[in-house]
Amino acid sequence: MKQIAIYGKGGIGKSTISANIAAAFAEKGLNTWYIGCDPKADGSMTLLGGRKIGTFLERLRSSTDTTEPAYVLGFKGVKCIETGGPIAGVGCAGRGIIVAVQELYKRYFNDDIDVIIYDVPGDVVCGGFAAPLREKFANEVYIVTSGEYLSLYAANNIARGLENLKVNLGGLVCNSRDIKNEERIVDKFAEMIGSGMIGFIPRNPIVRECENRGMTVIEGFPNSTQANAYRRLAESILKNDTLVVPKPVDPEEIRVLLRENE
Amino acid sequence: MSDVLHPRPSPIIAAMYTLRDLDADVIVMHGPPGCGFTASRLLEEAGVTVITTGMQENDLIFGAENRLVEVLKRVDLEFSPRIVGVVGTCASMIIGENLEAAIKKAGIRSIVLPIDIHACSGPNTVGAIKVLEVAMSKGIIPREEFERQKEMLMRATALERERGMTSKPYLKPHRGVTKLKVARMILDALSQSKNVAVVLNAKKETAYRFADVMRAVEYARRRIGGSAVYVANVDPNIGLPRIRRYSADILRDLKDEGITIDFFSGGLDEYPVAGEKAAKYLEDKSIDLRIICGLPHAIPDLKKEDILVTDQPRELRNFIDSGFAYAVGEISTHSMLMGARGIVHSELGDTIRELVDGINK
Ligand code: SF4
Repeated sequence: MKQIAIYGKGGIGKSTISANIAAAFAEKGLNTWYIGCDPKADGSMTLLGGRKIGTFLERLRSSTDTTEPAYVLGFKGVKCIETGGPIAGVGCAGRGIIVAVQELYKRYFNDDIDVIIYDVPGDVVCGGFAAPLREKFANEVYIVTSGEYLSLYAANNIARGLENLKVNLGGLVCNSRDIKNEERIVDKFAEMIGSGMIGFIPRNPIVRECENRGMTVIEGFPNSTQANAYRRLAESILKNDTLVVPKPVDPEEIRVLLRENE
Repeated sequence: MSDVLHPRPSPIIAAMYTLRDLDADVIVMHGPPGCGFTASRLLEEAGVTVITTGMQENDLIFGAENRLVEVLKRVDLEFSPRIVGVVGTCASMIIGENLEAAIKKAGIRSIVLPIDIHACSGPNTVGAIKVLEVAMSKGIIPREEFERQKEMLMRATALERERGMTSKPYLKPHRGVTKLKVARMILDALSQSKNVAVVLNAKKETAYRFADVMRAVEYARRRIGGSAVYVANVDPNIGLPRIRRYSADILRDLKDEGITIDFFSGGLDEYPVAGEKAAKYLEDKSIDLRIICGLPHAIPDLKKEDILVTDQPRELRNFIDSGFAYAVGEISTHSMLMGARGIVHSELGDTIRELVDGINK
């Protein structure tokens, strides 16, 4: 069973990538779970025809009935779960992620599953946000970034979190912002932290279009080059066996890298 | 980072006690049901109603503001309190519960003091200072009183660091030496017409028990001779209302036994400085034997032949290990004093009385 967690700067496109690779796995016939860990609970919408689903934590909170399945079936049978969490400004989202991940593991995850994808909000900011990285849960991490300074900076920070926790990084995914030399920049940065770039997703307006229609690109434009880019990424992740604990760099080195590729 | 390994009092509990001293009627603990449990029981004995919002895992995740609002409304209905303290716990503070907001939403008639505190906030005195600060902001105590109390509490923290329980990495509890040995020493001194000084340097309600040593010494002195000097930090004009009542109670009981205090070293919340004043007062009095009750480590230059009477087993360990052979323990003093309104018998006091009665027979 492949258990992966997707991290990256807020707004970088983690959910789009997570949902599309989930779709790619599912169309191959793999038993795939998508676990959205954002309290906003909107990561799985493109797998569900634009529908927002009830959250796992709300379910835990309001009933003890665990006989009905916790997930909602999405595109090609992807099992979608949104952990949910507090509304903005109250409670502890981190604690929510911890409880949800533990409960899911205990109650639902079994050997019949091929892939579990945790779509985690933003950075590894506290123990709660790092929960999917604990032993038994995700065993490899992918960081989504672009060639822009701030997203590389965030990626570097996440690498620091992984180094602290001694968790393996599977590689970086470049979600293109159409920056000059972007592929080279991300590739080089990945190398600097001891990892590699595992996929490059070009910028394409059909992504936005599909999102507006509540579907993944794989569903909306299955024959597009964009859909193929997600499929390639999914394939690389599936085959990937180069996992290393990353070594973060001094953020100044990121600036140097960017200046060199201006 | 501090290397003190033994458990110490928590700022949460100190906050609860300070609320009691302000005569709060109800304390609402915003946290899991067990938080502050032991202290809550004791405080209830002292007449304060302690309530918990009983937070659970889900409340940690989603926040428990509604719970607090509901509990406050019920408290208002059931107890119509004048002053309510809402005390944070580790659980509520770590997830950032907004006590003020909940209090506003509840909109009850009482004066409600939100105390944002948890066990990780630092020394226990931090909790007490927090309560006093909020009380000042709500006009319950004047600024001068706040400043005075804060000064005392900071002195107390410093004293504990220098000579008290937080001066050692680990202290294994000790019960002190036997009362018999020490009682004999006192009676020997008196029967040789020596001058004995009893210093009460106690903290708040523990004075109800430590003051009994004065009564017992006076009892013995009247029967077998000698002279005695009494020094005590029971100035009834200093401190929060409840603390002044304690001093008044003690003075009344001492007066009933014909005892007058020779020197008032301060109020019952002033032990960190009262100890110094007491020692100074005794300096030129040619005292043969000093008996120091309450928090003896607050006396600057303790002598190895002083008799030290205290209640905390770790404090006793500290004394014994430092070579004070006459440190005796009035263990569990605190728990037996909740709700007391007069001097309570001490073990050392009773041992002295028993020996005196034996001698006289
Ligand atoms: S959670 Fe905090 S307040 Fe509650 S019992 Fe533990 S230390 Fe005390």
